[in-house]
This record gives sequence, C-alpha cells and structure tokens, in this order.
Amino acid sequence: MNEEALLARASEERERIFQRYERGRENLIGQIDPWEDPEFEDYHKTDRYGFIHDERLPQKTGPQKVNIEVEREKKWVKMLTNWDSPATKEKLHRRIYKGIPNSLRIKVWCKLMDVNKIKSANPGKFQEMLKLAKLWSTDVRQIDSDVNRQFREHQFYRERYSEKQCSLFNVLCAYSMYNSEVGYCQGMSGLAGVLLMYMDEEDAFWALAVLLSDKKYAMHGLYIEGFPKLTRFLEHHDKILTKFMPKLKHHFDKFGLDAILYSLKWFFVCFVERVPFSLCLRVWDIYLLDGERVVTAMAYTILKLHKKAIMKLNDMDLIVNYIQVKLHKDFGFEDDIVIYHLERSMEELKRAKLDYPGPPPPNELPKRQLGLFVEPDKKSKIGQRAENFSETEKQARATVILRREKAAIELQELRVSQSDTVSEHSGVAGGIRCDDSVSALGSRRSLADTSVTSTADLSVFSSGRSHAMDNSLDTHSNVSDDATGSDGSGICGLSIQRAPSTAHSTPRATPHPPSVSPMSDDVVRIHVTYNPRAGSPHLHPISPSKYKAYNNEEHHKPVSLGFYSNGSTNLPSDNRIRIQVPSESEELLTPVVDAGNNITPRFIESHTEMYGS
Amino acid sequence: MATNRSGAAQRPNGAPQTKVCQFKLVLLGESAVGKSSLVLRFVKGQFHEYQESTIGAAFLTQTVCLDDTTVKFEIWDTAGQERYHSLAPMYYRGAQAAIVVYDITNQDTFGRAKNWVKELQRQASPSIVIALAGNKSDLAAKRMVEFEEAQAYADENGLLFMETSAKTAMNVNDIFLAIANKLPKSEGGGSAGAGGARRLGDAEQARSSSCCK
Repeated sequence: MNEEALLARASEERERIFQRYERGRENLIGQIDPWEDPEFEDYHKTDRYGFIHDERLPQKTGPQKVNIEVEREKKWVKMLTNWDSPATKEKLHRRIYKGIPNSLRIKVWCKLMDVNKIKSANPGKFQEMLKLAKLWSTDVRQIDSDVNRQFREHQFYRERYSEKQCSLFNVLCAYSMYNSEVGYCQGMSGLAGVLLMYMDEEDAFWALAVLLSDKKYAMHGLYIEGFPKLTRFLEHHDKILTKFMPKLKHHFDKFGLDAILYSLKWFFVCFVERVPFSLCLRVWDIYLLDGERVVTAMAYTILKLHKKAIMKLNDMDLIVNYIQVKLHKDFGFEDDIVIYHLERSMEELKRAKLDYPGPPPPNELPKRQLGLFVEPDKKSKIGQRAENFSETEKQARATVILRREKAAIELQELRVSQSDTVSEHSGVAGGIRCDDSVSALGSRRSLADTSVTSTADLSVFSSGRSHAMDNSLDTHSNVSDDATGSDGSGICGLSIQRAPSTAHSTPRATPHPPSVSPMSDDVVRIHVTYNPRAGSPHLHPISPSKYKAYNNEEHHKPVSLGFYSNGSTNLPSDNRIRIQVPSESEELLTPVVDAGNNITPRFIESHTEMYGS
Repeated sequence: MATNRSGAAQRPNGAPQTKVCQFKLVLLGESAVGKSSLVLRFVKGQFHEYQESTIGAAFLTQTVCLDDTTVKFEIWDTAGQERYHSLAPMYYRGAQAAIVVYDITNQDTFGRAKNWVKELQRQASPSIVIALAGNKSDLAAKRMVEFEEAQAYADENGLLFMETSAKTAMNVNDIFLAIANKLPKSEGGGSAGAGGARRLGDAEQARSSSCCK
C-alpha cells in the first residue's frame, strides 16, 4: 500500500473509533460485538467504590467505621468551607492521613490539585483539544484498546461505550493533543480512570494535566520516551533497599529480579491495581497532599511490611506474583495500619535524607508548550513502528541493563565478603546490616539441618540459581534417606558450612530431592571418603540449639559439630575432602566457590597431598 | 560399603532421570493482540476477556513434558505499545525462543508482527526459535489476515506458525509444545547461540512438575 492509502486508512480508522464513542452505548445497540461486553449476570455485588465482585465483598465496613466516617464528614465539610484558613492548614495533614471521607473525596482532591485554577485559566481548552484529537491524534487506536480493558470490573466501565468509558476515551484523546511529548502512554488510562470515578470529564482532564506537569507530582517524566523519571526513581528505590533492607535486595538480585519488573505500576500509576482499591485511595489522598515522595515511601513500606513473606519465596515468578497479584487482592494489613507505617517510613527516610530523589532535571520536564498543536509526522500518523531506537531509548535500555549487571557484580562481591565472614566465624554477614533481621532462626535451622550423615562417598550439591537458598534442607532430607539404605558399617559425618547468603533459608514442609544436575549454576560437590574408624552409625544432625553453641563458642573446630561421635577430637588423617566446583557454571552466581575456598584450608590443611586426588 | 557414585549421573533416590531444560521465551507483538492472554491460558488455563494491559513486562513460568525431557519456560510477556518497545531488547536478550503474536482480525498487527520478526532476526540470538501466532482465531468471522498468507510468510522465514485462540484454548498448548520440541536440548548448551538450555537441578524439577502428573 502506498503512503497516501496508508494515511487515508489510518485517518478512517481514527474517525471510526471516535464516532463509536460519540454515539455512545445507547446508539450502538446491536453494533457492539458480544465479546466486547461482559456477560449478563443476574447477581453480583458492588462495593462502596463501585467495583463489582462475584463473591462476598472482601472487606466489610462495620457500623463503627461508618459512624467514624459520618463524624469525619462533618469536620471535613466545615474545613472545606474554610479551605484557606490557618485552622484548615493546621489540621489538614493529620486529617488526610486519617483518610478523606469517600463522599467528599472529589471536592478535596480538586482542592489539593487546585483543578479549578488551571481549568478557569484555560476556558474551552479541553473541548479544543478533543476536537483536534479527532482530526489528528495518533494514539486513538491504543487509547481505544486500553479503554476496552481498564477497570472493566467497575460499574462505570463495565459496559462497552458506557458514559464513563466514553469520558475516559475523551480525556485521554484530548490529553494526547494537549501534551504532544507524552501523547498517550499505557498507564495513563489507570490514572484517568481513577480520576473519572470521582470527577466529570473536564475536571478529570485538568487533574490529569496537573498530575503530569505540576512539580509536586511531575509525572510527565515517567511517560515520555525513555522513561527518565522512572529510571531515576528506581535507582533511588534500590538505594533505599540497599541501605535499609539489604537482605531483601540481595534476595531480589539473586533471582535477577529488577525493580522495574515488580514496581513499575507503583511509580507509573501510584499503586492502582497493585494494592486494594481502598488502600490505593488512601495513598492517593496523601500523594495529592505531599507529592512524589509519598510514592517512594510507599514502595519502601510495602516491601518492609511483606519482607518476611517475600524472603520465603524462591522463584522470580512467585515473588512477582506475590507483589503484583496477591497484594492487590489482599494486602494482609488494615489500611490504617499501612498508612501508619507509611507515615513512619516517610519520617525514617527523611532522617536518612532518602525521602526525595531530588527535583526533576530538565529532561523530565515538558519542553514544548502545553496545549499547543503540533502536527504529528507521517510515520506516527500511519502508525509505523520506528526501525531504530532513538538515543534516549538506547540510553534508557542501557541504564537498566547496566543496573542488572552491577547488581550481579555486587551480589558476587557480597558473597565473597560473606564467605570471608564465614571463615572468620563472625555471626554477621559481611556487608549486611543487622537491622535486616529476617529469619535469623531460619539460618540456624538450615545450617543445622545441613549437618548430615552418610556412608562412604557423599555428594552434596547446592542447587541452581533459583533454589540455592533452601537447598540445604533438601540435601539433608535426601542424603539421610540414602544413608538408611546403606549397610551402615562405617559412617562419617559431614558438616557443610554455607555462606550466610543462605541465611534466609526457611524450612519447607515438603522436602524435595537435591539437585544433581551438572548444569546447575552453582554447584559444589563435597566428597567424603569412607572412614572405617569413624565409629557410631548413628550420627544425627545437630539441633538448632547445638548450632547456636557451635556458632558462639566452639566454632573454630569443625569436630565440635559431632563430626565424629567416637570421641575423636582431631581430624583423622585418612579423611579426605575434595571440593570441586565445575567450570560449566555459566553465570556469575557461584557463591559456594568462595565459601569452598575458605573452608578448604580449615579442613584439609594437613592433607594437602591428598587434595584433588 | 556403598559404592562411590558420580552424583551427576544419577539421582540419589535412584529414580530414572528425566532431562530438564530451562528456556527463556519472550512474547512480542502489537498492543492488544492477546500476548498476555496466551500466556495466562498456557500457564494458568484461564482466560479473562478484559486482561489488564501489560505495562513494562510480566514474568511467568510453565513446564511442559516431552517424551524424554521436561522443558521449563521462563516466559517474558512484554508490553505492546511502541513507547515500551525500547525496553523489549532487555527481555529478548538471551532468549532462546520467541512468540510473535498478531491478531487475525487486524491486518496492521500482522504487519507489526513482521517487523518484530525482522528485528529478532537482526538483533536476537541467531539460533532463536521463533513462532508466529495468529491469535483470536475464534473471531474467524472478522478475519482480515488469511491463514495461507501467514503460513507462506512463516515458511519463507523458517518460523513455526499456528493460529491460536486464547479464549477457546485452541492451539495454545500446541504452540508452546512445538517450540519445546524444536529447541535444542543438548547438554552443555553449546548448540544454542544464546547459551542453550540450562539444565535444572532435580530440586527445581520436582517442584515444577505441574504437567507431569
């Protein structure tokens, strides 16, 4: 097809889409495809915010809460009539953190964003932009497809071409002309969708404009090409994690989980569809009051509150599912509790001077005048995908890749320092701060359980990348089985010291076989030869309490682990331990290599002639 | 005395060993063609008429069993909007397989799919296995892309090709299985330019056996 025909087709498509929204649901009877509309349902429940649930409502608002809200409403009504008074200013912060009564939310939000000011300064602008969009917007198809799936479980948006769906379409199309640098970026339908639950079309348009260009929120930089603000905030987020929750950061890094995967919507749409809607509104209340530092603090708060649960998840998809899906369905904490913690987080971050990543650099701010018509170029009119990336895009991508690589290197360095610490037997992992007190008990358990008994040759493997953490337990359970099946005539015990990178290991209910694949990323094989002089066939894994003693006092002697229960206090000369680290390991993540190196001299010092035999 | 065993060759519990391979697979294609729906159908057996739009990317895993091998897919589901295109190489970097999806009711999405294939051929690992999926085949009444046209294109470019429907589940498992079959599963991974299959430990194998009942 030639260029003209393509242009004509694109413009036809735009007009066709526009017309359907203009006609709206009532005038499209028989013209809406069955798949576009939800199936007719006799019975469902709608919650107080308008979301439809198939089942019982997730939260009941008890009579007590209703009473409190009624009382609050009275106070808020008063406050709204004296908005600019010193009394209001004094009380506003405290009251907003308690939650804006839902019935007054629209008024308060409009005040907080000063929607009326920008609206009255630009009379007729919204309609003008909408008209231009109908003629020129290149984002109509994308907006149409997103309107078709945004908040479809909400009564306002449930029916195709319903009034609110049409409003959503109009607001986004008009904005795509108003701010030609942003146009429309996926994610914005979530913002506008929430605003329209409370506001009419034009107010929502201006509120969206405020969110993007007011310096308090400055979301413009999130949505433009290359997502510069996202990059900057994610880096800051990582910095916070490194300082306050290094073990969690380490946990994420171990699974190659970049913040861009699990937290994108936190930053892009301020937690819409990532936390329950009631909580999301509470965060929005505060966000509209205090601006972008709220997002940073809330991101930190979510991870802080769910750190323990996340540390138990040993697969990237489990972690992502927990953060993105589970927390949306059920956050596990009352909204008030979360907001309490959010406020504490904000104070904590402020004390550490980490509450704010700084004002936006020029590349995150609008360069073109807003509301000024810019004719799109031919390529974007036709909707052709760009053949090559722009410099900004290349840079954005490089930043993320660099961040991953840096994290991998840091992870390795951390593991080196941790294994050093192991050899020195200090209780605290190198480079890890004690305030990240996740599951210290778990670490003891795992170490204790790793103490295994077996006949003759014993092969113990650390598992591949994703499961290195709980492997010690599996090893134990399985190798023990192995021992039972043997003749049991000569037994030697083996304790494997693992780097504290396994410190967050948590016992699992159902043990699974150990990894034996030679292709595992991190493999250490420890062979212990058969020792006929080692007496008792009944060596047991040491208990956590024993491990504690071991850790505190007799740690310098591996034999104190019950290594030889025949009372021998020295390493028998015919005991050999080989530590073999396969070279096929294809990734950087080989922590046990260093752990092994540090263990080696301790065990084999006097048997160097046998090493490697 | 128990005999020494080379731990790599056998499982300690003596069960016969199935080879487990792990592959990175990326889904690409225009917005709203059904990438996330295909993944959701394949991984969870579900279909949502109004699947939330993917912002950035999503990550899921699923395992399929072949005769002698278990294949674990690490699936990267990407956002379709042009703006997010710049992030896509992050996801297809090192991918051993890709599914490029288009919507059979929309000719433009087929054109975009061709662009994605071109980009993969140019930028991704040379040994990447590419499958083309013509999704929404349940909407055949509104078809704009002929089966033969897409088949011919796929043949020319050495792509696997199926028309799929995430809604009815038609060909969804099949296309992933076809990819699993086509992927090289040699040990050491030397055959695949992107690093080849990463074999899993039994630990992972045991927990990812959802299809091996």
